[in-house]
Amino acid sequence: MDLLSNTVALSRMQFALTAIFHMLWPVLTTGMAIYLVIVEGLWLKTRNPDYYRHARFWSKLYVLNFGIGVASGLPMEFQFGTNWAPFSEAVGDFFGSILGFEGAMAFMLEAGFLGIMLFGWGRVNPVIHYLATIMVAFGANLSTFWILVANSWLQSPAGGEMVDGKFIVSDYFQAIANPFMIKSVSHMFFATLETSLFVIGGISAWYILNNRHQAFFSQSLKIVLAAAIAVTPLQIYIGHLSAEQVAQYQPTKLAAMEAKWDTSPAGQPADWSLLALPDESTQSNTWEISIPNGLGYILEFKKNLSAPVLGLKEWPSSDRPHMVGLIYYSFRIMSGIGFFLAGLMLWSLLQWMLGNLSSEKIARQTWLLRTWIFAAPLGYIAVESGWIVRCVGRQPWTMYGQIRTADAASQLPAGNVLTSLTLFAVIYSILFVSTLYFGSRIIRQGPNMELTIPNLDPAVAIETEPATFVPDQRPIETQQ
Amino acid sequence: MDALIHFLPQVWFVILALFLFLYVMLDGFDLGVGILSLTSSDEERRSILMTSLGNIWDANETWLVLMGGALFGAFPLAYGTILSALYIPIFMMIFGLIFRAVAFEFREHSDRKLFWNAAFGAGSFIAALGQGFSLGSVIEGIAVDEAGHFIGSTWDWLDWRSLLVALALIQGYVLIGSTYLILKTEGDLQKTHFRTAKLAAITTLVGAVLITITTPIVYEAARTRLFSPPLIYIFSIIPVLGIILVGLLLRSLNKEEENTPFVWTILIFLLTFIGLGMIVFPYIIPNQITIYQAAAAPSALVFMLTFIGVLIPIMLFYNIYNYVVFRGKVVGDVYEESS
Repeated sequence: MDLLSNTVALSRMQFALTAIFHMLWPVLTTGMAIYLVIVEGLWLKTRNPDYYRHARFWSKLYVLNFGIGVASGLPMEFQFGTNWAPFSEAVGDFFGSILGFEGAMAFMLEAGFLGIMLFGWGRVNPVIHYLATIMVAFGANLSTFWILVANSWLQSPAGGEMVDGKFIVSDYFQAIANPFMIKSVSHMFFATLETSLFVIGGISAWYILNNRHQAFFSQSLKIVLAAAIAVTPLQIYIGHLSAEQVAQYQPTKLAAMEAKWDTSPAGQPADWSLLALPDESTQSNTWEISIPNGLGYILEFKKNLSAPVLGLKEWPSSDRPHMVGLIYYSFRIMSGIGFFLAGLMLWSLLQWMLGNLSSEKIARQTWLLRTWIFAAPLGYIAVESGWIVRCVGRQPWTMYGQIRTADAASQLPAGNVLTSLTLFAVIYSILFVSTLYFGSRIIRQGPNMELTIPNLDPAVAIETEPATFVPDQRPIETQQ
Repeated sequence: MDALIHFLPQVWFVILALFLFLYVMLDGFDLGVGILSLTSSDEERRSILMTSLGNIWDANETWLVLMGGALFGAFPLAYGTILSALYIPIFMMIFGLIFRAVAFEFREHSDRKLFWNAAFGAGSFIAALGQGFSLGSVIEGIAVDEAGHFIGSTWDWLDWRSLLVALALIQGYVLIGSTYLILKTEGDLQKTHFRTAKLAAITTLVGAVLITITTPIVYEAARTRLFSPPLIYIFSIIPVLGIILVGLLLRSLNKEEENTPFVWTILIFLLTFIGLGMIVFPYIIPNQITIYQAAAAPSALVFMLTFIGVLIPIMLFYNIYNYVVFRGKVVGDVYEESS
């Protein structure tokens, strides 16, 4: 087979495979770290031991995912050198620096304080512990920031120019604040948060539905709900802004996202394709359902387009992304999930306002709870689809408009890459299945309700008495 | 400006050396403990071994991530060339580290601990082997063209000299792992590691002596540099100091002291490191590409320095704090409660 001897294709597959798998773990931990800050803060503020037990329970899932995230992320950094050496040499001045920042500022902070967050409960005082938890969350989100700075710079290069095949940076801060940066960082920040919220919410719903610790888990469901009220609509809005940005800076990607082959001229209405079967050989959609005049309303909230929307045929085949169907459907899956989650949030909010989510009544909301369980993995799928749109849609460029993917790859024996790719496929599949297996084990075990609560002050010690304990209510003088 | 162009790559060479040294020292004992776990027979012992690393292994591994990022940013040419030349040993290391890391997480929740124990030990061994081969072949030099791009073949990294370095490094890791466990354990387990430390000290010494002798014989460039003044004086002091340090280490092991063996081992690592640095400097790909040729633009080096340079003391501070919080012996699968 031709593919098996094509080093560039194999290196691309390897990067895609490792990235798609790796993302599964940090996407949860980054958002969950914020959740852990919230519950630990609630514990310190209210002294309610349940919040402490939440912090301990969810951090078990956190550390499982964090450890695998570290392990699966290591190859990402080294692949730039092993498989993409010409690319590394061309963009090292900026791209390499940013990866260095991610390590020094973000990852080190997270890893450095993780030990204290997980094992330090009995060893440091609660304020120091809380500080460690905050540092872990801050580090995780700073990672998102730097990685997205690096990626959005590849999407919209700024701050310098290519000279003899090497990117010479003239202004580093302009490169950091490249056109894509702010919206990309926010879109991903909310993506990690939303994914974690619906994972935590889904697991909480599962417990409630199975009659386990209902009061306890309706607490976490409500924290999630309170956050999701803000996050889900905001994410749709940022997503829309990101798409506008793609339209402006990466017209080839937008055309692929919409499977749009022919240009729609300005001043006229154009249809918006809902579902289609794109066919690259005929440069058309063999089958399509479209919404009449929809495109103008989506882009500018009016019927007629004020600027033309370019179709793929405007560019020679070598300058536009292939796999149009993949990009087109990934985009629809991502946005569909975004709307679905916002809808679920609205439904839950309505039930909450009607008072149906109190710990006594919540178990009766069977369908709502089932939908939350169903929604738990959707965030992951949306994130993965979004990244497929972002990076497959950028092709044939590794750095948009500047470096072609074919020129970015190391010239390696195909056999080497095929071997490492196969090993990655096997190992990452094992990691994925094992995480599911051990994650579900942690969930089936449930929270440890007998944990000793660290001593904040004597008031807390009273609250930690076992539930069976009945205080002596006789008058003081008759006791003993 | 000329002075700056000369000075900045040197600063980054030193920073990279610092990151690499911290990595080799800190993850070195992690990997050493991992390799030693292959020899421990019962579950309780392995449990203690893994607990002694539970809270620090990912912070320790981060120094490697940091070094990768800094090498990429500061010397992009060397990063691309070295990593594509060492494709196989680098992935050997990565797969080893993956196995080690997941063993930590999965073992805790698994009923079949035997499998994850094996993954932990074997992963540590494979990672150390990959690192040893990488180190060995970088010291040997990598075949490059005039522009500094790799032109050798896939298996260039594998020969008796890189194997020698790999074996010596593994022994070194076992040594520092043993002395770390002497610090962290007590009773029978500690006794075992006094023995493994002694054995590893001797095998490491043999490896180091062989490398020290063969390097000037095989590599002409290293010979001319090292055997001419003023380097000859420093270079001849290193083996002498090394032998004194190994002597001190063996003495402290014989006296069954708890803390000093670890300190002597760190000093031995540091000395070896300075020796290697002298052989390599000013090259980043020995005898082919100097740090000045491979360096990123001065503006990039300054940019990175302002962000990362400031952070180095802070990173060191909270990493040390982490060790202070978890000082003391490991008992069973928990740390002894601090009083």
